[in-house]
Amino acid sequence: MNLIAGINVTAGALSAQKTRLDIVAQNIANAQTTRTPAGGPYQRQVVSFETELIRAGGNGTSALQSVRLGAISADRTPGQQVYNPQHPDAGVDGLVTMPNVNIAYEMVDLITASRAYEANLSVVKNARQMAKKALDIGKL
Amino acid sequence: MIDPIFQSNNYEMARKLLDVSAQRHEAIAANLANAETPGYHRVDVAPDFERELKQRVANGGSLRGIEALNVSVAEDPAARNFRPDGNNVELEHELMAMSRNTMEYDYLTEIVSGNLKQLKLAIAGHL
Repeated sequence: MNLIAGINVTAGALSAQKTRLDIVAQNIANAQTTRTPAGGPYQRQVVSFETELIRAGGNGTSALQSVRLGAISADRTPGQQVYNPQHPDAGVDGLVTMPNVNIAYEMVDLITASRAYEANLSVVKNARQMAKKALDIGKL
Repeated sequence: MIDPIFQSNNYEMARKLLDVSAQRHEAIAANLANAETPGYHRVDVAPDFERELKQRVANGGSLRGIEALNVSVAEDPAARNFRPDGNNVELEHELMAMSRNTMEYDYLTEIVSGNLKQLKLAIAGHL
């Protein structure tokens, strides 16, 4: 039993959400990148979460699941073709394939991730308050 | 002689409920952590404990032995509102449950504290 309840669970969630923010930042930063080591334009990366067993149930204790990053995978949708013959990466027809990053989607993801991060932080704040109260038991 | 103070119904009950409250906080922490995990189902303190407690209070019996009651966290059967990804955590609901639970915990620590203060008063004659 932890003094601060649920701290393991929340720690996993905070780091998962932070990685998600990193990925969003990477997507936005590369919104115009048309050249990558793998060739072709940058492909938007998406994260997926999966549960992580912190404590197995049974024998008076109950199962507790945290979250961890499942995978970072590339979004396979094709990028937009823009007519820009001056671009060094333009094809013979003058079209450039841009990354499939949509800034609006990324902004929404950014807000969702930071809200989720905040929610998890408030769990820690509450847990700390509870621990403090428990330590104050019997104090005059 | 000191026993009656430490085994008063309120004191015993508050002690047990503090444990329950801490467990519920863990459950809420898990729910919020998995708010965006596909297929995750919300968990809460299993309803068995509440049912048992209600029964004991209704029977007017003593709460002696309440310490031994098993409290576990289980999937919340009352949760509805499945999202398309199979997850049924509602962020607002969890945050409300959390502040309510924290309040309950604070209240219970006050009860336990109050009991101890009474004992102290009885011993020393002053606080």
